[in-house]
Amino acid sequence: MIAIPFPNPIKTSGLRPGNRRFPRLPHNFPVSFMANPRFLYPLHGLGQMLRARIFKPSKYSLPTRVGIGCLKLVNLVCFAHLFVEYVGTISTMEGPSMLPTLGNEGEIVVVDRLSTRLDPYNIARGELLILLSPLNPKRYICKRVVGLPGDVVCVDPTGQQAPSTEHVRIPKGHIWIMGDNADASRDSRIYGPVPIGLVQGKLRTRLWPPSKFQMFGSNMTYID
Amino acid sequence: MQNKRWFPRAGALRTPLRILYWAPLGMVLTTHWYNVRVISGPSMQPTLNPEWSLSKDYAVFDKVAVLDKQDCHREDIITFKSPLDPKYKLIKRIVAEEGDTVKTLPPYPLKEVKIPKGYVWVEGDDPFNSDDSNMFGPVPRALIESKLVFLIWPPSRVGKLEEPKLPLSGTGPTFRRAMAAFERAHSRQSRVTPAAKIVIPESV
Repeated sequence: MIAIPFPNPIKTSGLRPGNRRFPRLPHNFPVSFMANPRFLYPLHGLGQMLRARIFKPSKYSLPTRVGIGCLKLVNLVCFAHLFVEYVGTISTMEGPSMLPTLGNEGEIVVVDRLSTRLDPYNIARGELLILLSPLNPKRYICKRVVGLPGDVVCVDPTGQQAPSTEHVRIPKGHIWIMGDNADASRDSRIYGPVPIGLVQGKLRTRLWPPSKFQMFGSNMTYID
Repeated sequence: MQNKRWFPRAGALRTPLRILYWAPLGMVLTTHWYNVRVISGPSMQPTLNPEWSLSKDYAVFDKVAVLDKQDCHREDIITFKSPLDPKYKLIKRIVAEEGDTVKTLPPYPLKEVKIPKGYVWVEGDDPFNSDDSNMFGPVPRALIESKLVFLIWPPSRVGKLEEPKLPLSGTGPTFRRAMAAFERAHSRQSRVTPAAKIVIPESV
């Protein structure tokens, strides 16, 4: 048998608004997937898809579906909120208290909240932490852990806030934090050891600027 | 012949997946807004978990007021993470806020404490059985998690906790209990010297 190609008749079923402007193309050979009018005329295709979804035959009335759609939006917002609270987030940093490790502004870092949520004691000396400030409960601060519970810490080696011979034993459940920029940082030298319950997350990496990409970790070395 | 495929029957995963889909909304509504928790421990007796009660108290706590506006003041019952061990949550009453001066109870080493900015002084209603600020000092406000709104169990004490008022008259157990609550509140408040409020006159 010889395959006789049969041309597709151009279907203009009635004079409806869609058909006149975008007639079905008379291909009788295989055409590519992207030649579908849905892709050739993207706005029209989107409009068709939206209209099909809005007027889709469904057992729920339109106001009910609008309500469910709003609930789905709220659900998405809740998911985003829970993700940011429990897993982690990407955020900017500002302030001079962690120079030169973190710049004054314009940097983007990854904050990991999961590791401290799963085990609050999973903190090592020298790690960068995000905490809530003991002075202002709505403000997040970023400092480095210097001492863990039970350590004896020299309050201020520079001698600015306290004599350099003053030492403090960190009580149970507290840590000693300090900013890398000792001159411009309000930290444990002012408000003493902070409870571990204030720790919100750890700083893991710096993503922006790309030239200064860095993984943060403990930078403590032990001197014997 | 028995179906030997291990995979669950078609459509069996639909309900669990739907529950998983709506779980974020459920979690936020039940734990991040108002949540119901059980109160354990005797540190707030006789206000909460009194000795004569047959079961622990269940209560509704408000998280949003605390997080957004830090809307907790003296005489509020709050839950907060323990400063000594962040895995435990404590429930106590705020006795003093920043700027106030508190006369402390043993075993605190100092007789009087001026609360620094950003901290609160918490005490349990039962001073003997309570690990509170008299043990670990002022607590940063950032540790506060939620505020008690009302009790939902046991049925005899459902509702908001009463403000202790001087009972007008009477005899018998009701009067004695109301009077005891008033005296407790009075002795609590008498140990606190509120912060001096500086009022700036509007028209100078």
